[in-house]
Amino acid sequence: MISEAQQSDWFLHHLSQSAGIMPGRGVAWLDALRSDARAAIARLTVLNRKQEAWRYTSVEPLLQQRFITAGTDIGAFRNLDIRPWILPGMDAFRLVFVNGRYLPRLSAVDDLPEGVTVGSLRTALSTDPGRLATWFEQQQGRSDNLFTALNSALINDGALIHIGRHVVLRKPLEIVYLSLDQERSLLVQPRNLVILEAGAEATLVERFVGSEKTTGFNNHVTGIQLSGGASLDHYRLQDESDRTFHLSSISLSQLELSRYRCTHLSFGGAWARTDCETLLKQPGAKCELNGLYTVGDGQLNDFHLRVRHMTPGCTSRERFKGILHGKGRAVFDGHIIVDKDAQQSDAQLRNDNLMLTRGAEVDTKPQLEIYADNVKCSHGTTVGEIDPAQIFYLRSRGIARTKALSMLSLGFAADISNEIKPEPLRGYVERRLLQKLGGEPDGDNLSEHHV
Amino acid sequence: MLSITNLKVSIDEKAILNGLNLEIGAGEVHAVMGPNGSGKSTLAHVLAGRDGYRVTDGEVRYEGRDLLALETEARAHAGIFLGMQYPVELPGVNNMTFMRESLNSVRRARGEPELDAPAFLRRVREQAQLIGLDPALLKRSVNEGFSGGEKKRNEILQMAMLEPKLAILDETDSGLDIDALRVIAGGVNALRAADRSIIVITHYQRLLDYIAPDRVHVLAGGKIVRSGDRQLALELEQRGYGWIEEDAA
Ligand SMILES: Nc1ncnc2c1ncn2[C@@H]1O[C@H](COP(=O)(O)OP(=O)(O)OP(=O)(O)O)[C@@H](O)[C@H]1O
Ligand SMILES: [Mg+2]
Repeated sequence: MISEAQQSDWFLHHLSQSAGIMPGRGVAWLDALRSDARAAIARLTVLNRKQEAWRYTSVEPLLQQRFITAGTDIGAFRNLDIRPWILPGMDAFRLVFVNGRYLPRLSAVDDLPEGVTVGSLRTALSTDPGRLATWFEQQQGRSDNLFTALNSALINDGALIHIGRHVVLRKPLEIVYLSLDQERSLLVQPRNLVILEAGAEATLVERFVGSEKTTGFNNHVTGIQLSGGASLDHYRLQDESDRTFHLSSISLSQLELSRYRCTHLSFGGAWARTDCETLLKQPGAKCELNGLYTVGDGQLNDFHLRVRHMTPGCTSRERFKGILHGKGRAVFDGHIIVDKDAQQSDAQLRNDNLMLTRGAEVDTKPQLEIYADNVKCSHGTTVGEIDPAQIFYLRSRGIARTKALSMLSLGFAADISNEIKPEPLRGYVERRLLQKLGGEPDGDNLSEHHV
Repeated sequence: MLSITNLKVSIDEKAILNGLNLEIGAGEVHAVMGPNGSGKSTLAHVLAGRDGYRVTDGEVRYEGRDLLALETEARAHAGIFLGMQYPVELPGVNNMTFMRESLNSVRRARGEPELDAPAFLRRVREQAQLIGLDPALLKRSVNEGFSGGEKKRNEILQMAMLEPKLAILDETDSGLDIDALRVIAGGVNALRAADRSIIVITHYQRLLDYIAPDRVHVLAGGKIVRSGDRQLALELEQRGYGWIEEDAA
């Protein structure tokens, strides 16, 4: 057990590490953001399993590690060959971050259309902080838990994306986060801001990848704001090494008639968690959250989703599927809140889990909190296994057992993976799933599970 | 080709097959009939290698080999095909991808080269047309939402693609309209060859009008209780099974 004192020591320790010169020092709003975050860390109660948000996921494995704050020096990566990290055939605007630092030479954002800003947050904070002030102020959840506060207090680099009114981005915009340090356990804290003005449309692909042996902690914070009628198709692939820690905190706010669709793909990490808060602030906003996760031996994956319907006539759809093998552990918490005034809300939530072994474990919990009386809400979760009759069918057609299992698992995932629009990403996801599940030893361990 | 001697099989301590004997020569077509619950599907499953059955006695030799010692997929590689009474749905598994994987698994095991995508596509489209299977079904998930008849046609398509040496068709004719019945019979007859054998499990004599089996067997109480030629099927159609079961008892 980690004591309260040890916990606050962990946060203070990482807070005290300097990451070199902070961009935008002396800018009043930024100084205030950083110092408020420090104050929040001192004030916020420590994390424990009695708190709803941490009931099934222990932070201990994370807090037992000490990380080194990644420096700002990118010299070592100047000659990095980016090709192995690019999806073949993916035609996209691209931002590349290595260990949390933006690498302009490896990025490709030259021929962006007018009205679009895509680049490093660090640069923007140094050169044009005034422009960022209002966007940051509008963002909810900046420092409302210890991890987002840690990110805010040390805010340094990340991606800034601004799509102007009615601009339609034809090519996807891709952000690649590379974790490449195998010697040291790095604390990397990217901070993203994604803003789509009225009527803007874009596809955003984020990929967290890296070398196989990295052991760092990615404490990622993203704020997304969609103005009236804006539309964002968002993909987040977390495929880091099976030894890393990953926490993504996403806060999304949607105005009138905006559309948001996100596909979360989470395959890597020893300890990986995504907290996603969505505020449907104006009528007619529609939000669709899809997800696919796999966990095996030594892996924990946690999704905490919170969707709040604040005004009438908004729609939310959440569909998450998990494939668990070995001794993998997954946590799913889907919380829907419908405010008193949010009549005609339409909210649906599903979480389905496929247990390939009896050693795997999932805790899945939908929560509905409904204060309006005229709403359509539904939720359902399942935990199941592959039907032996299906395995027999495939084997009787000559297909080996392991292959049969991975085909059926891929089939289970298909209604999520088939909807991945960028074809190179879809192909990658299908191949990765096969790899992740193909290593499964033959065995008759297909009969029981715990919930 | 296939030689079953004194086969005894139970499920959860319940005896289903009680000393079944059956000889099938190369190039022969045998029909197996019998009352509901008599063990016909159990026999088919045991031959194809489904888990959950306990063989307590007896022997099955296939081309001189001990069939029961082979893994399920190895039986398919060795040329055994079971057209199932209740083909299972495989959500999210594309029918075409599945058939290609199946065919190439069998070809690999036999040391034959895999079919590349164009060659496979040509062949599967050709066969689908012969069988009268709507090509749209090839793009869907295996059997998912297929009608009863479509599922059975899909089984026949797989049989045609795999060209098995021993095909076992478990009530492939049940629930089919008369056109579909002709198609199934056509599929079976097309497969007929001197080095292939076919077991047709059916409740209806009308299928046998199209297939013309060499032998007809009655399975009752877990045994073959009567064997004969086509005449036997006609007799069963008129008289039911009661008289045979009485005779056997
Ligand atoms: N998994 C099982 N557990 C218990 N009993 C079973 C199981 N499978 C089959 N049986 C029993 O074994 C017996 C034979 O079943 P089988 O399916 O082989 O019959 P069948 O001859 O194919 O019948 P039908 O003509 O109705 O298809 C039946 O009494 C059935 O209830
Ligand atoms: Mg049967």
